[in-house]
Amino acid sequence: MQQLRNYIKTFAMWELWQGLAVTFRNFFRPAVTILYPEEKTPQSVRFRGLHALRRYPNGEERCIACKLCEAVCPALAITIESDVSDDGTRRTTRYDIDLFKCIYCGFCEEACPVDAIVETRLHEYHMEAAGENIMTKDKLLSIGDKFDAMISADKAADAEYR
Amino acid sequence: MTINIETMAARIAARFAEKLKRVESTCGELTYEVARDDLVEVATTLRDDEEFRFEQLMDVCGVDYLTYGVGEWTTYSATDSGFSRGVEREPVILDEADTFDPRRFAVVYHLLSLANNVRVRLRVFPGDENPPFLPSVVDIWNSANWFEREAFDLFGILFEGHPDLRRILTDYGFIGHPFRKDFPLIGNVEVTYDADKGRVVYQPVSIEPRTAVPRVIRDDNRYAEALKDGSSDG
Amino acid sequence: MAEIQNFTMNFGPQHPAAHGVLRLILEMDGEVIQHADPHVGLLHRGTEKLAESKPYNQSIGYMDRLDYTSMMCNEHSYVLAIEKLLGVAPPIRAQYIRVMFDEITRLLNHLMWLGAHGLDIGAMTMFLYCFREREDLMDCYEAVSGTRMHATYYRPGGVYRDLPDSMPQYQASKWRKQKDVDRLNEVREGSLLDFIDAFTEKFPGCVDQYETLLTDNRIWKQRTVNIAVVSPERALNLGFTGPMLRGSGIEWDLRKKQPYEVYDRMDFDIPVGTNGDCYDRYLVRVEEMRQSNRIIKQCIDWLRDNPGPVMLDDHKIAPPKRVEMKDDMESLIHHFKLFTEGFSIPAGEAYAAIEHPKGEFGVYMISDGANKPYRVKIRAAGFAHLASMSEMVVGHMLADVVAVIGTQDIVFGEVDR
Repeated sequence: MQQLRNYIKTFAMWELWQGLAVTFRNFFRPAVTILYPEEKTPQSVRFRGLHALRRYPNGEERCIACKLCEAVCPALAITIESDVSDDGTRRTTRYDIDLFKCIYCGFCEEACPVDAIVETRLHEYHMEAAGENIMTKDKLLSIGDKFDAMISADKAADAEYR
Repeated sequence: MTINIETMAARIAARFAEKLKRVESTCGELTYEVARDDLVEVATTLRDDEEFRFEQLMDVCGVDYLTYGVGEWTTYSATDSGFSRGVEREPVILDEADTFDPRRFAVVYHLLSLANNVRVRLRVFPGDENPPFLPSVVDIWNSANWFEREAFDLFGILFEGHPDLRRILTDYGFIGHPFRKDFPLIGNVEVTYDADKGRVVYQPVSIEPRTAVPRVIRDDNRYAEALKDGSSDG
Repeated sequence: MAEIQNFTMNFGPQHPAAHGVLRLILEMDGEVIQHADPHVGLLHRGTEKLAESKPYNQSIGYMDRLDYTSMMCNEHSYVLAIEKLLGVAPPIRAQYIRVMFDEITRLLNHLMWLGAHGLDIGAMTMFLYCFREREDLMDCYEAVSGTRMHATYYRPGGVYRDLPDSMPQYQASKWRKQKDVDRLNEVREGSLLDFIDAFTEKFPGCVDQYETLLTDNRIWKQRTVNIAVVSPERALNLGFTGPMLRGSGIEWDLRKKQPYEVYDRMDFDIPVGTNGDCYDRYLVRVEEMRQSNRIIKQCIDWLRDNPGPVMLDDHKIAPPKRVEMKDDMESLIHHFKLFTEGFSIPAGEAYAAIEHPKGEFGVYMISDGANKPYRVKIRAAGFAHLASMSEMVVGHMLADVVAVIGTQDIVFGEVDR
């Protein structure tokens, strides 16, 4: 009996119809895709994207050129030179991150004792000319200034876990 | 059936006596040193004998002990010139030498016995000839084929009796054995596209080696047996 | 009369079905393969040599990039080797988190495998369905580590951060009705654990869908049944591990036989094949997905009830919390010490193996007492599997090569290292 049933199923292409039923049912399910870039998928506050250098609320640079991020960077993407600034504090004169070398591991952010270097949620950036992959100190600071509200909120949201 | 590694150690000691020299392990693993001439015989017995039955060769790993235990940064006073000062830039080139330190190169075999659920590690020193060579175990475990090719490619260790000893991981026409400790991390040549010639060309590397953190050997007394249980934070 | 002779054919390295950069030199007699010679190494980055030049922790991120479809499992093996040499064990909660994410990783890997394998031998729909589920799992990765693939999440002594209590949500937009947004956010209301829990509820249904599409399908069976049969004896001798070994009928799973972390507390079964052909290996992997789902569920239940530390409190290995670091001088010194020099490991050697989705993934580490490993050897499952390529394809047709590449679940990140 079973054999007969299998025989009929084979000729009726039963398993193919079943498979087609699965795909057909999906016609009536809501789409899982979204309309990027108008819509975006949710992003975690822990997201590790483009880097930024932050300032204190009074406008003072946070970075004190301790070079922990330079030492901990697995890809050797960070280069720092430092000097004593006019007000007698230790500051970076050069802070370069090579985005082509960076592996976005987040160690620089973990290492920074003053929360100066952070990885932001920005991930939609591009380069058009050679050399733009080097994020200089000015570029990093301007990203930090521009997205300060978002960065502060993200870091505050995740502070209790770190 | 799962057997204790000490049971296996006792069986091995009873069977091979002096041929397999046990090496102390800090984390409960079985490690043995085997002479080059005994390797094939020992390996065959380990695979076939009822009391061992190491059916699988998990891994063959070349090791270069050239700089073992050598730190890059020994200093006793503070300086402000950064970490890189202590890093030795001149590689020690020994490849031209007729002989090596007999304990420079080693090949490590990881065996697994499914029947007994035990792992064993064999270490063989190929001796002081240049190039170093070992008998191949491909005929005993076929999985050794590519692992031996890899050890040859990366360390320049030859395997006698290997059916097809070619380079495997490096580029076609590569020169040198990159995992030897005297091979620089940045390599010797770089590849660029030459627009005039209309093809890819090799030229000496142009990048500077850079060390962010030097290699430091610390006698961390936290692991000293006497202190282990006494103090909490060394 | 024209002379009949074998000819040699080049397959790859830029072939979409080569799963990356595999170059195969095939010696053909008509359409039947006489000999296959895989050329690998086109993705060789020297991970092991690079690891020798960095402090221990800095290589964790490079482990993700080995088998880039099962990221956290690679990290797991690496940190296990370090922990073995140090003689430390992570807190129990960290062990559960690791087990849970190992299994999530296994799902990620098997879904990628199923999608790509299906696509290669003619089942386009599978690819789309599998990526639909992968998306949710990648959101878990992102929620916990901040990246969707290369997590750098496991650390010697535990995991970096605890699981978050909230999930990011879809924002309202003019392109979507509020009702629609609410539906999407329904599973994202609670914590990450609630999100994963909702996933485990729906996932068995998804596997049923995949099976309806493939398991009985006559085209699928024609492409996989009796293709590349490997006997148990050959599988052992060729160094097969994981689903490749189990597909040949050998019941061997490191999670059961040599349990690490808390796998000995988990209740799950090991599927085993009988014929050792591509179809059996497919069935084994699909069943493994169901079993992984079971393990994840058990981990969620435990993690819900048992809060606690996820990192060792030994500041010689694990950096102190940021709050402590900013208040306490000694913590700050530990912080600086760890992030510049790292920690030194006592001289010795260890081999730590885990049941990676592809097989046994082992890290053999030699330390000479320095802050960097003296030698790291990565034992990748795919390397041993690919070595048997020639033996598996001889006598089959050219089109079956693609089925064999698929069934071996090759990823070049780990083969070439």
